[in-house]
Amino acid sequence: MSDLNPLGTPGITLVAGPPGIGKTTWISQFLSDSNHPLFYLCPGAGTETSTEAIDRLRVGYCFPQVTVIDDSQAADLLMNLPNQAQVYIEVGFHLDLAALPFNELPCRKVAIVPPELAQLTAQSEWHSWANELVAGNNIQAPNNIPEFRRMALTGQVFDPPSLEVLLTEITGGAYGPVIRLKGIFELPDGQAFYIDFVEGLEGIEYTELKLVRSLKGRPTRLSGLEVVGHSLQQTAMAETLQASCLSDELLTQYQRQYRQHYKAAQSTDDKTTNQTEESVA
Amino acid sequence: MKLAVISCIHGNIEALDAVLADIDTQKAEEIYCLGDLVGYGPYPNEVVEKIRSRGIPSCQGCWDEDIVDGLNACECSYPSQLAEYRGHLAHEWTDKEIHPEVREYLATLPITLKKDNLCFVHGSPNSQHEYLLPSMDGFAALERVLATDADVLFCGHTHVPYERKLENAALSVKVNAVESSETEQQFQVPLKRIINAGSVGEPRHGRPNATYIIYDTDAAQVTLREVEYDYEKTCQAIIDKGLPPIFAWRLAKGMEFAELADDPTHVCER
Amino acid sequence: MQWAILSGIEGNLAAYEAVLKDLRQLRQLVTELYVLGDVVGLQGKTEGDNEAVIRRLRFPGAGELKPQVCVGWWEEQCFSLHGMSGLPDAPELMAAVGGDGVKAMWESVSRKSVQWLRSQHFGFHEFDCLLIHGSMAGYADELTPETPAIELCDRLIRADANHLFCGRSGRTFECWVTPAQLHSTVTTLDGPQPTQDQSKSPRRIIGVGSVGRNPGEATYTLYSPGSNQLSFRSVNYKKANYRPAKREKAKGFIPR
Repeated sequence: MSDLNPLGTPGITLVAGPPGIGKTTWISQFLSDSNHPLFYLCPGAGTETSTEAIDRLRVGYCFPQVTVIDDSQAADLLMNLPNQAQVYIEVGFHLDLAALPFNELPCRKVAIVPPELAQLTAQSEWHSWANELVAGNNIQAPNNIPEFRRMALTGQVFDPPSLEVLLTEITGGAYGPVIRLKGIFELPDGQAFYIDFVEGLEGIEYTELKLVRSLKGRPTRLSGLEVVGHSLQQTAMAETLQASCLSDELLTQYQRQYRQHYKAAQSTDDKTTNQTEESVA
Repeated sequence: MKLAVISCIHGNIEALDAVLADIDTQKAEEIYCLGDLVGYGPYPNEVVEKIRSRGIPSCQGCWDEDIVDGLNACECSYPSQLAEYRGHLAHEWTDKEIHPEVREYLATLPITLKKDNLCFVHGSPNSQHEYLLPSMDGFAALERVLATDADVLFCGHTHVPYERKLENAALSVKVNAVESSETEQQFQVPLKRIINAGSVGEPRHGRPNATYIIYDTDAAQVTLREVEYDYEKTCQAIIDKGLPPIFAWRLAKGMEFAELADDPTHVCER
Repeated sequence: MQWAILSGIEGNLAAYEAVLKDLRQLRQLVTELYVLGDVVGLQGKTEGDNEAVIRRLRFPGAGELKPQVCVGWWEEQCFSLHGMSGLPDAPELMAAVGGDGVKAMWESVSRKSVQWLRSQHFGFHEFDCLLIHGSMAGYADELTPETPAIELCDRLIRADANHLFCGRSGRTFECWVTPAQLHSTVTTLDGPQPTQDQSKSPRRIIGVGSVGRNPGEATYTLYSPGSNQLSFRSVNYKKANYRPAKREKAKGFIPR
């Protein structure tokens, strides 16, 4: 194995924890570091939609300087780490911690757990695995293994009010109780949003991804939805998603309007408007 | 005299029966209905038969209109593409289910009903599709009442009940025209009211309970009534009769199946 | 910046030409030309006038402004006749001008021209102005100084603008509406909500006149968005003949 970095501290960080605890968020704080080559891996995404794994997409979109790698590239990278490289490996809740292939690597093992479990006296599978415990979101770790559903949405653009309804319904349990939802959705103004819900935390979080507006045909960049819950009604959920996506005709119409709008907005920036004075006491 | 005003029953016979029983305990002498007898719910024929057999005068709602004339509301009357998709599913289901004589009866319903200084409409005097929300601009709301020549305008369609008093309105108009000299006029408007009856069969106030209102014509007093009923029966019937199960979920949550349009005062020209 | 706002050419090519000529003679340059509907109608001198007006609008001459057109009542009648809107067979047109009028309209506007009209605007929102044929309540909404005050107020609220320019009445007028006072109290299932006192600044409805409806006299409106200055123009032209007349007289009226 090659030298990991000049200081000798391992450049590999394994991060585990229950769904919704804040693993990707915790890793994100290190991803703006421009002094090291940065790598991010979310192993075992394993299905045919693994390219649409939301954490990978989110890290790729938010931190363009980070190299997002997949399982097949992992071994090669870990054997030949570039100088000063920092590798963050996010371990999904569905993986068996004791059997992780990375366990034997010289690495930092961080478990993000609910605050009450972060105390040294508490005992859990995280304690026996990790060499570092971090207090994450104040949520209940699920007792039984929940179901995990991933839906690829690449190319789909959503009608905004429909998206709001469907997110309210899914997170409200209309298709089975949900403990975690994360997704990347394309909207007709050419923007993409990262959407995040954790059962036990308030509200649904919308984050605009700072990407180039996609206003010419269907977006080619990847998007998708992941839902973690119990007895999920996949077919009904898929029908609702389908009914909320724009047809080619509508999309073309919206994109034409938005292109004109942004063009006009640029050219009239200097015009001033007289605002109506209105008082509502 | 005490009047009961009900609206937006949407084929929910369980809720209607509970509300009619509650009206009896309130000793209302007359009942008025603001339309949307059908749509979304599992018992459109039963609801219409009950309204007819009780001799309750009713306006025509937008759903009643669609069942009579075919689905001709334009997509802009739907708040979202998803609501439109589901609205179409509900319309097709209701259209198949409904008896011919029920359809004929719905066709006879008037757009407005009047009694003394009271006027009854489904959405607004302009349109069965217009939402008179409590947040609507006060002057615009006042215009809706004045357009009817009434002092009290009863409406539904939003599925959330409220009473709104519009008092001490004053406005002035100054005219410059080529053919005449400048004129200025002041206008004062005495107290007017908008009373929204909420929804019997598809409430949207966050609880599953049915809502309606009691109006005392002598005291000009409004009571917003909230009535519990066995909504789980309706939810089960929605699923058993082949309506989309999501309707049952939304009913149990006190959420309307269709949310409000973006621009609630938008009136389509089609 | 100065806008010329006109409406109601109604197929009267001579009247439109007279207005264009008047525009050229103005001291201050017109920077935008808005046509608030009713470009076609039955005021033409010959059957070909409707088509000629449309050609004139579509293909302005060298150095002339390109008119920005929105649809009006007469255009809506054409859409109805040609099955391009919800209501077929133009019952409103039938009621207004009878069978002969309907026939004349049918024959004088080609389907291709109707399609062009269909592609024109619904209205224009510019700065704090709405320019439209009728109002947001519909293309047939005829606002005049005699319209009930609360209705004018409602149309201004729906316009979401301080200045509502409209053309349906064919008249030139300026109507300032001040919604001075209103107390509104809402009671919901949660009990009474705080009373709101609503008052708004003055805002106005402007009737922009009619180019072609009154033979011999065309009226239209000039507006400077920068200064809010408004003036009504009246152009006399020779009725029977639409070759440029020798002595055309124009006069202006500036409302205070």
